[in-house]
Amino acid sequence: MRPRACVLGGVCEGLARHLGWHVSTVRMLTIVLTVCGGAGALLYAWLWALVPLEPTTDQRDEPVRRRIPVAWMLVAAAFVAAVVLITMIVTVGGGAVVVAASAMIVFALGAVAWEQFVDGADVAGAVRPRGASAVRITTGVLLLVMVFVIPSVGGVRNGFELILLVITLLVGLVVLLGPWGIRLWQELIAERTKRVREEQRAEIAEHLHDSVLQTLALIQNRAGASSEVARIARAQERELREWLYAGAGTLDSDLGTDLRDSAAALEIDYPVRIEVITVGESLERASSEIAAAAREAMLNAARHAGGDVSVYVESSASALDVYIRDRGPGFTLDGVPEDRLGVRESIVGRMRRAGGTATVGRGVAGVGTEVHLHQEYENGES
Amino acid sequence: MSDERVTVVIVDDHSIFRSGLRADLDASIDVLAEAGDVDAAVEAVKQCQPRVVLLDVHLPGGGGGGGSEVIRRCAADCPDTRFLALSVSDSAEDVVGVIRAGARGYITKGSSGEQVSRAVRTVAGGDAVFSPRLAGFVLDAFGAASGEQAVANDELDRLSAREREVMRLIARGYSYKEVAAELFISIKTVETHVSAVLRKLQLSSRHELTAWALERRLL
Repeated sequence: MRPRACVLGGVCEGLARHLGWHVSTVRMLTIVLTVCGGAGALLYAWLWALVPLEPTTDQRDEPVRRRIPVAWMLVAAAFVAAVVLITMIVTVGGGAVVVAASAMIVFALGAVAWEQFVDGADVAGAVRPRGASAVRITTGVLLLVMVFVIPSVGGVRNGFELILLVITLLVGLVVLLGPWGIRLWQELIAERTKRVREEQRAEIAEHLHDSVLQTLALIQNRAGASSEVARIARAQERELREWLYAGAGTLDSDLGTDLRDSAAALEIDYPVRIEVITVGESLERASSEIAAAAREAMLNAARHAGGDVSVYVESSASALDVYIRDRGPGFTLDGVPEDRLGVRESIVGRMRRAGGTATVGRGVAGVGTEVHLHQEYENGES
Repeated sequence: MSDERVTVVIVDDHSIFRSGLRADLDASIDVLAEAGDVDAAVEAVKQCQPRVVLLDVHLPGGGGGGGSEVIRRCAADCPDTRFLALSVSDSAEDVVGVIRAGARGYITKGSSGEQVSRAVRTVAGGDAVFSPRLAGFVLDAFGAASGEQAVANDELDRLSAREREVMRLIARGYSYKEVAAELFISIKTVETHVSAVLRKLQLSSRHELTAWALERRLL
């Protein structure tokens, strides 16, 4: 395991811990091996790539703390190379200029690459430390400044030096604008993928709308409103609709959505068709007393009446009205025995406790039952 | 009224649905023709001059305008033909689009043959057909819940108190007859109110209505 707080890569310390040696012994050995033919450096790189980082102790993905700021050292090296380059141009010229210019470009690229791939990989998932883009910007600005400085001190004397100048310019631009360009490109791709997906979805929706939904409507139509087949078809239609037009509706569960959901559930259990119509923006939450009372009334209608049931919700800033109407045999409160708690407690009592009223009466012309729930608001707030 | 023969043309792109509907309609309703897309529908309606066209909202062909396009292209040549929109969809845009194009009513395809037949006869008699959902939509679109109310009778952007009352009862699932009994008015008066609301729905420039219509590029 490589420790998270380290000098360069934590390789020596990890190796020392593993072998039970002292850290400085391992370091010395590595340096000696590096000097004699570079085997130490190779071994170091190999172990760095293969030995995993020490897992974090707590949940937070702690970044790797490196005591040597390698990226900044490379930036500094690039600066030094730039200064040397200008000196060379002014004094000797020739081959030394090419070497200095190449060194500057290589150091600059190295700094950015280190920052992007080594530092960046270590903190994957965690917050990028500050100064991550500072390396990039400093390097880019240095290179671009050099592009202007070199010709002004008379640095471009032949084609080869011109090529080096152009390379400096290109590398500077890429370093400065590269990540921005990559992000823009990725966004463009993501945008395009999203649009294609939306289009595909719309196409599927349209197709299903024209075929499956029509068939389901026909099945309901031919099978009779309260038959088993019609109920299944209706439930399927509802599910399909929800899937097709998902995203358009609100996730927030208001009274209307909630009543529609419970209507759907009731339609599966009872031979009933419940149509829920909402008018106005509902302020009421689905968990409220009036919602519970309305659900109870719907359950009653489904259980005792069946057939077509109409639910109408009208909400305004000052009041909320819910009507549940069925066309069953009908009943009145007086006809309900004392021990039957359903209507008396769950609907009337509940509304009274919530500060509203519930009226249970016969429907128009003595057909069916109509339950009317009414709740007033103090000052437009629920 | 039920003795009178009513001629209809059924326009729907599903032959199964057309034949199902045809079989379900009353004996007093004569189906003159069927059509499966916009162009065929326009031709059939112009040729047969039916009393009522049962029109699917989503139709292939033509300029892509569906049912609304059929109504617009037939309007000049068939002054006596009324359109009854029939759709599986009950979304606000579909409803308002086809009503504003000139349909006299809107029912969903889940309706039984009996209901459709009744709606056909109502439309043939010159009245409008409002489903509970359409009534709820009208109340919503005209801001009735928040207490907006027309002061003058000819105001197009708001409902009068009586119209609102009628719409509310229809939304609660009342038939015209039940609305009439509840409000102690005649069925004829109910139908007058409903037709007035339909006219407002077609002519109003209320923001909510035009926004929906614009979204579907119907204006």
